[in-house]
Amino acid sequence: MPSWAEFQPYIVTGLALGGLYALSGVGLVVLYRATGVLNLAFGAVGAMGAFIAYSIIQAGNPGWLGWITCILFGGVVTLGYGLVFGPALAGRGPLVQSVSTLGLALVLFGAIDLAWPTTGGQSPSISFPTDNGGFSVGQLQVNWTQVIALALGIVITAGTGAFLRYTKLGTAMRAMANDREITATLGVPVRRVEAAAWLGCGLLSGIAGIMLADLSALDDTTLVFTVVISSLAAALIGRLRSIPVTFVAALVIGLVHDLITPINSIANYQDMTPFVLAAVALLVMSRGQVMTRSREEG
Amino acid sequence: MNRSVHWRSRTTAAAVAVVSLGVLAACSSGSSSGTGAAATGAASSASSGATSTGSASTVSTSSCGTKPGVAATGTPINLGAINTKQPGTDFSDIENMTGAYFACVNANGGINGHPVKFFPETEQTNPSQIASLAKQLVTSDHVVGIAGSSSIIECSVDSAYWKSVGIDVLGAGIDPECWSTPNTASVNMGPRYSSDGAVQYVIANGATKIAFDQSNVPGTTYIAGGPNALAKAKGVPIQDFTENVPITSANAIATKLVTAAGPSGAVVLNFTPPEALLILQAAQKLNLEDRVKSWACSTPCNTDFLATSLGPKWNDKLFVNAELTPLDGNTSSTAELYDAILKQYGSDVSGGVGSFSEMGFVIGEIATHALETIKGAYTIASVSAAFKAVTSYNTGLLCQAFTYGNYSEHIPNNMDYTVTPDNGKFVEASTGGGCTLISANDPQIAAYRAIAGTAPAVG
Repeated sequence: MPSWAEFQPYIVTGLALGGLYALSGVGLVVLYRATGVLNLAFGAVGAMGAFIAYSIIQAGNPGWLGWITCILFGGVVTLGYGLVFGPALAGRGPLVQSVSTLGLALVLFGAIDLAWPTTGGQSPSISFPTDNGGFSVGQLQVNWTQVIALALGIVITAGTGAFLRYTKLGTAMRAMANDREITATLGVPVRRVEAAAWLGCGLLSGIAGIMLADLSALDDTTLVFTVVISSLAAALIGRLRSIPVTFVAALVIGLVHDLITPINSIANYQDMTPFVLAAVALLVMSRGQVMTRSREEG
Repeated sequence: MNRSVHWRSRTTAAAVAVVSLGVLAACSSGSSSGTGAAATGAASSASSGATSTGSASTVSTSSCGTKPGVAATGTPINLGAINTKQPGTDFSDIENMTGAYFACVNANGGINGHPVKFFPETEQTNPSQIASLAKQLVTSDHVVGIAGSSSIIECSVDSAYWKSVGIDVLGAGIDPECWSTPNTASVNMGPRYSSDGAVQYVIANGATKIAFDQSNVPGTTYIAGGPNALAKAKGVPIQDFTENVPITSANAIATKLVTAAGPSGAVVLNFTPPEALLILQAAQKLNLEDRVKSWACSTPCNTDFLATSLGPKWNDKLFVNAELTPLDGNTSSTAELYDAILKQYGSDVSGGVGSFSEMGFVIGEIATHALETIKGAYTIASVSAAFKAVTSYNTGLLCQAFTYGNYSEHIPNNMDYTVTPDNGKFVEASTGGGCTLISANDPQIAAYRAIAGTAPAVG
């Protein structure tokens, strides 16, 4: 078993990844609460945005143009999907709505493979200027990109919580989460509120895509699947409802995933972290639910 | 009631999510294994799209044949090859460059007047598909030889079949069977011996501990066997790691490797270029590159793209094993012919100048040389005999003279270069970067030399 000192560097890398999983998880929860849709295309949209950003930067344009394009691409594609397919699928169950987004994910995944084929041994990558600066905490090296990733997770979680609680649009989203039909009867513009949720989720997918392309890899498989698995697991632990719990769960997933790295005997299983944590959390929560019901019925 | 509906809805959503997680995880791991497999395959070589030989194509392609400018019109000599070509793993540049070489030969007199009719096939690591392709080449296409194969699993799948029909293969190997069977000879060194080269270089330059990391794919134990034997013989501790690919947490991996190697140690990587680049870039972002004495890679890192992406911080810090002659600034006649053929006939070589196309060129060279020695009919027997008879042939792009020979195993390329980044290109390392024999402390190398001897250096 590695010593505590050997674990310490992974706290930094794990928190940075956790911060991005958190903002992704928050995006998924907000959309689910407003529309009832689990957006499984979250990672794919961000991935394609990141590849577009890469091409823009490779063409000699400034980095910021690529980053902004990635974020806007996420917003536009997700909003477009929500506007076209959202109303059509609104009456269907969560299974149909979620599988439909999986379809979008697979279409984008294929498109990325077509547009950016991995031939010739070359590999695309994205770097931020903040990669080259940072500070030390004892023996730990921290770069500014890692700090930004964690800060984004915190700010977006807090901001989203405040938005849902204190703004009219946020209140409408919360109302729709409770009962969509009653909310519509009360005169809330349901379509507009849903569109805002799709747009917000899309913008977050763009942010997550571009950040993870730097912190993790500009790789379609990684961005399409890893992000969704980890952030969906966090959202599940938050029961697709609680933003603070989703945030904490995302940080724990990022931390546990990276803290496993120096333990050679299980290091190759670290990609199971989100799945295992989500399964355990769901089992514990469902057990608690059963016990509560038993007490109520007894 | 309402609460119950909400609970049911959330439960359904959670169930969908759990199922989705499983599906996504399966998709993810499926893709990973595809890329992981790539980690093994491409560990034998990598191509570069940016390298330049520095030549101005002063050598005409007419020098690849015996009758310049005269197209061959005789009965064709049918040759075939099988390369892996799938998303994330594409070795087809090898057979495409071999095909380009044959096209050049055909346009300049052919082989004793006969053109080569080349049947390049591609596979997607499906054993039944690969076995079918082999049979198709022999029974439908009537090939009399195999030259230019490079596949993740083709050697292990087809070796017995080739033996049964009497074919001796000339290719660029990847799986262990490509070096351990009597009827296959590879122009490259493959992941094990290339990793050997990287490890022996860092040990020779004073590394006191080694962290050896590679993709978590089948065959890693076999590959690690070489570096471990070399390190053990020199009394240098070595720690083996494997990573699931595609890599999702490069920062953590870079940190782990640097910690394991220590300040006077070395990190040695055996990955495809994209995965190696991720780890090296992560080390750079975390300012870890100077926390060890040196970094090294097996051949795949030898692409100018990687050198360009890393920047000058890695000059004389990263050392990459090179199985074939470095091309940057190479003005030899062979390098110029390679460049000329690539330009005139290599439109299908998507990666351009680089190790893959170098291997394809060398295979074309050796095959042409062998076929020219045949006086009678071109049959499987005569072509195989000609391949096996190739002895001490100077390809111009390998350190050693190439010998196929009638041996129980074949590791004809067991002498390497070491290169290091230099302003976006890879150049021969100034200290000990020239042709160096792979140490016989690797028992496989020792066994081969015991039966085949040590070919002389020509590079």
